[in-house]
Amino acid sequence: MDDIDAMFSDLLGEMDLLTQVSSDSSLHELEDNDLDALMADLVADLNATEEKLAAEIEGLKVPTPPPSELPLPPPPNDLITPPASSLISPTSPASTSSNGKKNYLKCFITVCIIVCPADKIKLALEKLKEAKVKKLVVKVLMNDGSSKTLMVDERQNVREVLDNMFEKTHCDCNVDWSLCETNPELQLERTFEDHEKLVEPLLAWTRDSENKILFQERGEKHEVFKNPQNFYLWKKDKKTLKDIKDKDKELLIQENFCGTSIIVPDLEGVLYLKEDGKKSWKQRLFQLRASGIYYVPKGKTKSSRDLVCFIQFDNVNVYYGKDFKSKYKAPTDFCFVLKHPQIQKESQYIKYLCCDDAWSMNLWVTGIRIAKYGVSLYENFKTAEKKAAVSAVWTNRSTPSSSNPSTPSPTIKGSTTRNLPLTECFIDLKQLRCDFPPPPPPPPLGEILPPPPPDPILPPPMPPLAAKSALKPAGPQKHLPTNFPPPPLAMDNLPPPPPPPPIDDASEAPPDFLPPPPPAAGFDPVSLPPPPPSQPVFTGAGAPPPPPPPPPPPAAPAAVPRVAVRPAGSLKKVPPAPPKRTTPPLHGGGGGGGGGDFMSELMLAMKKKSSDH
Amino acid sequence: MAAWDLSVTVEDLGSDAPPVAISVASDLHVGGVILKLVEKTQIKRDWSDHALWWDQKQQWLLRTAWTLEKYGIHADARLVFMPQHKPLKLGLPNGITLRLRASFSCPVFQTVMGICRMLNIRHPEELSLLRPVEEKKKKKDKDLAEEIYDLTEVPLSSVSRPCLYNGMPAHFVDSPQMEAIYKMLSVTQPPPAPEVIAKQYRPASVVDKAHINGRWLDSSRCLMQQGIQENDRLWLRFKYSAFYDIEPKYDVVRLTQLYEQARWAILLEDIDCTEEEMMLFGALQYHISKVAQSEPQMLSTNAAMDDLESALMSLEVKMEGENSSASELLETMTAPELCDYLKIFRPKRLTLKGYKQYWFKFQDTSISYFKSKEESIGEPIQQINLRGCEVAPDVNVASQKFLIRLLIPAPEGMNEVYLRCENEQQYAQWMAACRLASKGKSLADSSFQSEIQSIRSFLAMQKSNSHGNATAGDESINTHSLVSPRYHKKYKPKQLTPRILDAYQNVAQLSLTDAVMRFLQIWQALPDFGLSYVVVRFKGSRKDEVLGIAPNRLIRIDLGVGDVVKTWRYNTMKQWNVNWDIRQMAIEFDGNVNIAFSCVTADCKIVHEFIGGYIFMSTRSREKSDTLNEELFHKLTGGHEAL
Repeated sequence: MDDIDAMFSDLLGEMDLLTQVSSDSSLHELEDNDLDALMADLVADLNATEEKLAAEIEGLKVPTPPPSELPLPPPPNDLITPPASSLISPTSPASTSSNGKKNYLKCFITVCIIVCPADKIKLALEKLKEAKVKKLVVKVLMNDGSSKTLMVDERQNVREVLDNMFEKTHCDCNVDWSLCETNPELQLERTFEDHEKLVEPLLAWTRDSENKILFQERGEKHEVFKNPQNFYLWKKDKKTLKDIKDKDKELLIQENFCGTSIIVPDLEGVLYLKEDGKKSWKQRLFQLRASGIYYVPKGKTKSSRDLVCFIQFDNVNVYYGKDFKSKYKAPTDFCFVLKHPQIQKESQYIKYLCCDDAWSMNLWVTGIRIAKYGVSLYENFKTAEKKAAVSAVWTNRSTPSSSNPSTPSPTIKGSTTRNLPLTECFIDLKQLRCDFPPPPPPPPLGEILPPPPPDPILPPPMPPLAAKSALKPAGPQKHLPTNFPPPPLAMDNLPPPPPPPPIDDASEAPPDFLPPPPPAAGFDPVSLPPPPPSQPVFTGAGAPPPPPPPPPPPAAPAAVPRVAVRPAGSLKKVPPAPPKRTTPPLHGGGGGGGGGDFMSELMLAMKKKSSDH
Repeated sequence: MAAWDLSVTVEDLGSDAPPVAISVASDLHVGGVILKLVEKTQIKRDWSDHALWWDQKQQWLLRTAWTLEKYGIHADARLVFMPQHKPLKLGLPNGITLRLRASFSCPVFQTVMGICRMLNIRHPEELSLLRPVEEKKKKKDKDLAEEIYDLTEVPLSSVSRPCLYNGMPAHFVDSPQMEAIYKMLSVTQPPPAPEVIAKQYRPASVVDKAHINGRWLDSSRCLMQQGIQENDRLWLRFKYSAFYDIEPKYDVVRLTQLYEQARWAILLEDIDCTEEEMMLFGALQYHISKVAQSEPQMLSTNAAMDDLESALMSLEVKMEGENSSASELLETMTAPELCDYLKIFRPKRLTLKGYKQYWFKFQDTSISYFKSKEESIGEPIQQINLRGCEVAPDVNVASQKFLIRLLIPAPEGMNEVYLRCENEQQYAQWMAACRLASKGKSLADSSFQSEIQSIRSFLAMQKSNSHGNATAGDESINTHSLVSPRYHKKYKPKQLTPRILDAYQNVAQLSLTDAVMRFLQIWQALPDFGLSYVVVRFKGSRKDEVLGIAPNRLIRIDLGVGDVVKTWRYNTMKQWNVNWDIRQMAIEFDGNVNIAFSCVTADCKIVHEFIGGYIFMSTRSREKSDTLNEELFHKLTGGHEAL
């Protein structure tokens, strides 16, 4: 009995520790308004976890241990997280997963295996996966010089982050909005593709990186779908290209993106290649093919079999070079670069190419992107277009008199951008209800939420950020400054670390067996009081319950103030389904009627196991 | 009306038998003639497939209600009474010859439809028949009996309305022989021996390729009209490179034959590709032949099993089976490790020191190394994450060299690291681990074992090749079987092995269907894909040029330089005409662009049919119905005869 006790205390202790670290990771240097947003995210996170846990415990039919188990002993020493410096090291977030931690997970799984039938183990496995999810707090620069800070989890792709940004900025959601990565040291920039995961490329940044992420309108991102003739018929004269009919554009897209195979524009032309290590540029006749870029060796014909492979695209990304004329004595400023995303400094492994004009540079960069990403580009465009269309409809409906489409009413905007994912979410819920105990019903929304969107058919979801901004004038959240009071010492009682932000639950289908949190509770943690018993810490906090207090800002991260990104990821390791949690009362009193004597059951199981050996 | 004698040769009586004379009147209809004829021969059999062929006019008398007068038949007419369906030797895209009964009386378009129905190939409009290239017959292999698969016994009724049984036409279920034929049709052939590739005719130039297109049969006329005799040999090929609605579930034979045609187009350099592309094609062929041999039914069954689901299912099975050994299960869930003594060399840093031995540990996607096994509990000397790195083999089995060359990305550039293994076994494991790690997969990934297997089989290949005797056993494939003869000269098999292996790592995990599809995709992405060439003479020009006919455009190629001079897309085409008297084609495009040319290497009917055919192909997506709009096809391709 003692063993198990200790084991679970450790487990919970570890979890609490993780919560602490994950939420404090980088709060100290954010602007006030960012903090608001971030806190909203975090609270949503915590609530979601709470819900998930509750559901999970029910699913596991593991009775809740008596609350008397709290407070817990402090976490064992070997689990104390590494110093904050490693925490911000973006290169090795996974390395912090200590063996000790793994052992605990192992223990937990062992328990599961003994106690639960196979399908429950699936759940535990899923949980394990979840625990490994990396998260970053990302600062995104806007055109006006301001910035937004948001949390990105490694499963989120750029599209989802863009949607997030749409909510935060209330821009017109046109298809050109993009996230771009800049590398000032190499004078490079690149537009992320919407299907790319955002976290991965950011992890390649070095600690002292001056790289930035920009939120910008980039016409070239989807230009090939708006004017395919400029890429696929580039040899024709400019007038023919300009006068092309929409029907013919459509046909071009059909031919090149909708067949069995994606067709890459057949580009061929003389480009300047920067010679390794030198500042001289040499002309070569290059050819783009689906399999890579080739050049025609001196004295050979253009026949395919004589071509020499210059580069293939599996391991490189294509970047625009800025101001290479002065930096590298390039013949023109229309340069592009191919390099492995991990390379951040000058290296012989970077390939620099220079074109005669902007037109041909765009041709090449777009052609390379088509060769590299294929049909994903087209899918990205279609998704972006849908998004833009939906928001345009809303904009027109809500602000018919407004002449400026880029500043629609924030409330409406916020709601609409949410609509699609939420509908999916509801469908999932329905399916899940057949197999699992129902999740707590969503609390009545109408009373608490700001005016619902005009469309009566759609559920009135309330994204946290829209809600926040809608509520902002009223000012109940204004008391979330950076000098937030230090967290109470009873940190151990904090809810377990949050799962990925609720955005995920909405846009990606939640795992089949986990009932997602009720939308309202999950998405609007600020305006909804959290279930009281699950967050005992806040019970005394007053009428508008504030989000959980952020832990004290750590000292170490101050050393790298310029880094806009830091992984909170490795430390977010959430131990799987800790059975010891106060179940929210919504679940009808203590999750599962399987009898309260969990511990003795577990004991039996452990005994059985040891006798097996 | 006066009666007169009509003599008709009845084929079934034998070639020596004299013509049968019957007494007819000019108002007798063709059906009546046949009736009299059958009565006269006094042979009792099924005559329903028989019809009259008018030799002088090269015409079938298929309208039985028409009178002799209406047909214009007089006593001097040489008529032959014979079956409409006759045996034909059909060369398939996979190189195998099939004997089957095809219609000699209906337009080739319909004949092909019938053949495709028999073979279970959807979208017959994409295929057609052509006269084969005469093979240079050496006296030696003249008598070498080629294995011919015989389908002539298939009842015609079964072909006209085939009912599918387990996805294959019922006539293929009749006997083991028939099943074997279906297997031949639906399973890819093993890679051909290098000598076989070398022996085949290879077009050496665009003009050579253009000549092949002169061999297509006319779709709007029947086989008899085109001089095809019973038991003649013809090729069945995909003619229009617009493959519509490929659905692996229903298109087993179609996909297999399409793959075979593409493979041979690559091997015989019918279409040009770069060396890198050739290696990838080679790797895919290797993979496809390997998977096809091990699981020949994969193509037909629905292989689209969800990864996660299967993983979970196997987990479940495992747990039910061995509920007691939970610790074992744990082993499978926590990432496995690979530990061993290896030698490392960093070419840049320690140029002089050479290889040094350390204790290596492979975990997740990283390699760590320690001074010795005993010290492996502590901090490693270095940990290298292999995610996104490049892995290249440097192996020579004969001299027992097993090197793994790693190019590891870092912010400063790529770091080069060599790992030296002691033996094959060790190399296969570590190489497989490095490969997976470079793609971000850990050792726990389900593909680890198969990766090891494929590395081993490649090593085996090198071994057998290094002994000089390139025997084409089932275990080892001569890499020369996977590339065109150009590379036979350029590389020895063992030089090719690492290059193909290199490309292979990107495709090794594909299922059979996916690998076939990938092959077709890469083929279709080649710049010259889908181009059928014809040598033409443009109006007003004094030299021969080449017209390339593609699914969406026509291109004009300068024969001297080989450059594309001009491109015209079909969607800007307003109309086209054929002047049959001077055999000239004239095409009008938007914006008053007119071109006209006469055809040199192919009949202008063939060119006309190609263009009309592609326009027909592009109409398919619009009408969703499954029935083929035959009338439209003939309207677009037939020329004056159909109209």
